[in-house]
Amino acid sequence: MADWRGALMSAVVYRDPKAALKFLEAAFGFELFMLIEDGEGNLVHSEMRFGNAAIMVGYEWSDDYRSPASIGGKVTQSVAIGIDTDIRAHCERARAAGMEILAEPELQFYGDSTYRCRDPEGHIWTVSQAVQAVSREEAEAATGLKITGWV
Amino acid sequence: MTSKVYVALRVKATPERAFAAFTDEIGEWWRASPLFETTPRPGTLSFEPGPEGRLIETRAGGKVFEIGRIRAWEPPGRLVFSWRQANFPLDLHTEVEVRFEAVGEETRVSIEHRGFDQVPAGSAARHRFPDAVLLARLAEYWQSQIRSLGGRVTR
Repeated sequence: MADWRGALMSAVVYRDPKAALKFLEAAFGFELFMLIEDGEGNLVHSEMRFGNAAIMVGYEWSDDYRSPASIGGKVTQSVAIGIDTDIRAHCERARAAGMEILAEPELQFYGDSTYRCRDPEGHIWTVSQAVQAVSREEAEAATGLKITGWV
Repeated sequence: MTSKVYVALRVKATPERAFAAFTDEIGEWWRASPLFETTPRPGTLSFEPGPEGRLIETRAGGKVFEIGRIRAWEPPGRLVFSWRQANFPLDLHTEVEVRFEAVGEETRVSIEHRGFDQVPAGSAARHRFPDAVLLARLAEYWQSQIRSLGGRVTR
């Protein structure tokens, strides 16, 4: 076991997972902390860390697991990244690495600035930085939504 | 091509300190494992330092087993040595590369162990594990060693 492991962990599937490891390091600063390759150099298992969380970067190991690149670009899950550094700089780094920016950084009603991007195999990532304290009442007033579970 | 197991963890020390602790003090932080035993009865590991050096294990009776020879000695950034367990075939030498990279005030210690899949089928060193399981256990083994090194350097 690693020295810690989050209770929730996403496995993100790629056709070319070794390229994804390099790309995610360049784009987001994710840090490779485990990689297992077989005798032919194929990725068997890998984990990358960011802050106090980690993801697994995997391959299409069974017919049930596909990269968006293999299924017409659709995603059914998306990883959200929370940062405590400047979101514009984060976005520019991602763009420079080759992320397609789907939505530029923008302040959301809940007080986070967020942007959304798509990687070369079609996974969509959302990045957010908390920039303002917003109360539940303010958020409800601003949107007309009923919000539960917001202290 | 050979299999690769790569693990990395950060430790709270400079690369110089981490390299010195890894090499000079390995006997203090190394944890023997029944899964990857270098010798049947664990002894104390030590490096004979330098480019011509060795990694050896000295057993209770004074007998010395050579785990490997240094292949690159580049303090404080890089160390490569061969790795042979007593339960390996005589001519099988796998390879371990250790890197120490400064990240802010910490050091990222990474270990890449190459060639472990060449341990032949049926060898006691495999514990009957298929490749994927064997390599996953090897990754965990090295993670726990770096963690122990991390404990050593932050004391």
